[in-house]
Amino acid sequence: MSDLGRVLRIDARRTALFLAVPALAFLGAVAAWRALLPGVAYWDDAVAALFSSVCLLGPASAGFAAWVALREHRLDYLRGLTARSPALGPLLDLLLLGIVTLCAYTVVAVVVAAKTMIHVEAGHPKPIGPLAGALTLLVYTVLGYLAGRVVPRLPTVPVVAVLTYLWGAVRPGAWADLLPPPGIGHIGLFAALRTELLAGQALWAFGLGTVLVTGYLWALTRHVWLALPAVAAAGVVTGTTLWLHGQQRTPPVVPRAFSYACRQWPLTVCVHPALRAALPSLEAGLTPLATRLSGTPGRFVRVEHRPDNDFPRPGRGVVYIHLGDLSPGYAHRAEQEIDISLLDARTCGDPRHAAGAHYSALVSAWLLDEAPPRITDTVAADDFARWDEQRRRRWLRAHYARYRTCTLRGRDFRVR
Amino acid sequence: MIVNSSAIVARGLGIRRRRRWILRPTTVEMAYGVVGLAAPAGPARSAVLQTLATLRHASVGELEVLGQDVTRRAGRRAVRARIGLLPARFAWTSGLSTRDFVAYASYYKCTPRRAVDAILERFGLSDAAALEMDMLPQDLRLRAGIAAACAHEPELVFLDEPLAGIGDSEREELIPLLRALAPAVVVTAADPAELSGWCDQGLSMVRGRLVEAPCVPRPRARVPAGV
Repeated sequence: MSDLGRVLRIDARRTALFLAVPALAFLGAVAAWRALLPGVAYWDDAVAALFSSVCLLGPASAGFAAWVALREHRLDYLRGLTARSPALGPLLDLLLLGIVTLCAYTVVAVVVAAKTMIHVEAGHPKPIGPLAGALTLLVYTVLGYLAGRVVPRLPTVPVVAVLTYLWGAVRPGAWADLLPPPGIGHIGLFAALRTELLAGQALWAFGLGTVLVTGYLWALTRHVWLALPAVAAAGVVTGTTLWLHGQQRTPPVVPRAFSYACRQWPLTVCVHPALRAALPSLEAGLTPLATRLSGTPGRFVRVEHRPDNDFPRPGRGVVYIHLGDLSPGYAHRAEQEIDISLLDARTCGDPRHAAGAHYSALVSAWLLDEAPPRITDTVAADDFARWDEQRRRRWLRAHYARYRTCTLRGRDFRVR
Repeated sequence: MIVNSSAIVARGLGIRRRRRWILRPTTVEMAYGVVGLAAPAGPARSAVLQTLATLRHASVGELEVLGQDVTRRAGRRAVRARIGLLPARFAWTSGLSTRDFVAYASYYKCTPRRAVDAILERFGLSDAAALEMDMLPQDLRLRAGIAAACAHEPELVFLDEPLAGIGDSEREELIPLLRALAPAVVVTAADPAELSGWCDQGLSMVRGRLVEAPCVPRPRARVPAGV
C-alpha cells in the first residue's frame, strides 16, 4: 500500500467513515422509500424520491462533514505544519467525505431503482436526475466541511445540519423551489420531469460545489490560477440561477406521452401502463356497478384513467377514474369516484335536498356494495333492503333521474 | 531586520480574539536554545503558541521565525516545514499503533516511511511500536507525540506543557530529550518553577504581555547521562 493509501486508511478510521456509510445509507433509503408511491413505480417518481432522500441525507452528510472537520482540526499540529501543500489535508478529507456520501447515495439509488424495476415501471431512466441528486449531496458535504473548518466548535455540527435541513424544507420564494434539491414532491403518472430542468439543477450544484472548493483552496494556498475555475464556476452558478428563475412560470413537469393499457371484457377498462397490474381488480370491482347501472342514463361500458387535474364530464357510456397509486382499497375508491360522478353536485349539495341526498346515499351504498347508511325514513330503508337485486335494478331504471339529482322521496320506495 | 541569533523575533505582535486582547502588542526575541514560557493553561497560551508556530494569524505586528517573515504567506510556507508543534492534550487516532501514528505524521512531514523505525528508536519507542496509542502510559504517549511532531527533525519545536502529569523519574529522563529535540525549543508550563533549571531563556505572560523572566539554568550534574 502506498504512503498516501495508508494515510487515507488512517483518516478513514479516525473519522469512522466505515460506520457512516451504512448509517447514511439507511437514513437515505428510509426517506426515499417513504417518498415512493405504494404499489406503483415509474422512473420520474424514482428521481423525485431520490431528491426527497437528498433533503434528509444532505443535512446528515453536512453535519457529519462538519464533525469530521472538527476532528481533523485537532490534527492541524501535524497536518498544518507541513512541507506539503496546506490544501492536502482538506482535499483528502473532502475526498473521503465525498466517497462516503456517494457510497451512501448509491445504496439509496440502488434501493429506489430496484423497487422501480420490481413493480411495473413507466417512463425511462433519466441518469441526469440521480446525477443532480449526487451533485447536490456533494454540495451539502462541502458546505458542512467548510463550516466545520471555519468555525471548529461542536455547536457547528447541529447548526449546519439544521440550517441545511431548512434549506431543503423551507424555501424563501416559489422560484427558489427549483434550486437543488428541488421540492417536486410526487410526479404524477401522466407527467414527466423536464430533463433540461434537471440538467440546470445538476449544473447549479456542480458550479456551487466548485466555487466553494476552489474558494477554500484559494484561501489556503493563494494560488492565483484558482481564480479561473472559481470565476468560471461562479458564472455557471449565476447563469443557472437566472435560468432557473426564468423557469418559474413553466411547470417543472410536462405531460408524458403514453398509450393506455386496456382490458376489454366485460367492460373496457383503460389505465396508465404503470397501473397495468390493477386491471383485473378494477375490472372485477367495476363490473357489478356497470351491471346495476345498465339501462339507466348512467350506464357505462368504458372506464378511463385520467390525470389528477383532468375531470371530463362522463357521458356516452364512458366514465373516468383518477388513481395516483395502488394503495389498498384502490378499486373501491374507483367505484366511489364513478358513483360520485353520476350525482349532480349542484342539486345534491343544496340543503333543500338534504332528505333526497339521504335516499341517494342509500342507493349508492347498494351500488357500491357498502353497508346502507342509517336514514330517518326507516320504512323506505327497510323496503329497499327487502327487495331483491332484480327489483332494485328495475326500480333504479325508473327513478334514476331523481337519484342523480338527490330528489328522491320516501314514496318512491313504496312502489308496489 | 532579521536578528540571526534569535529563532523568533516579534515586534509589536498582538493577538485579539472576540474584541479582547489575548496578547497585547509585545516586542520580544526568543533565542536558540530552550525558551521557557510560563503562562496559565488556556486558550490564550494555545493561541500564542499557534501564532508563533504560524498556524494562526497575528492581529497586529511583525513576526519573524527562523529568519522568515511569517506575516507573509511565502515566509509562512517556507518555515512550516522547519517547525514542529505538540499541543497540550494532543489528538491521536484511537486504535492506532504508535508506529502507524508516527508514520501518519511522517507523510505530512515529507519524511520517508523507511525512516519511521529510526524515529521510533530515537525516541525510545521501538518496544512500544506495535502498541496502540490508547494503551501507552503517559510518558510514552508523550514520546510518541513528540516523535510525530518532530519526525522531520525541525529546527524549532513548540511544546505546550509537555511535562504536565508526568512523574518525577520520567520527567528526569524526558528533559534531556526535550532539550535535544531541535536547535530551538519553546516549552510552556503553567508554573514557572517547572521550567526553572532547564531552560536557557525564560518568558512569562503577564497581563497579556510576554515579558522576560529569570530562568535558572539546570545544573548539568542532575541530568542523567546517556539518555
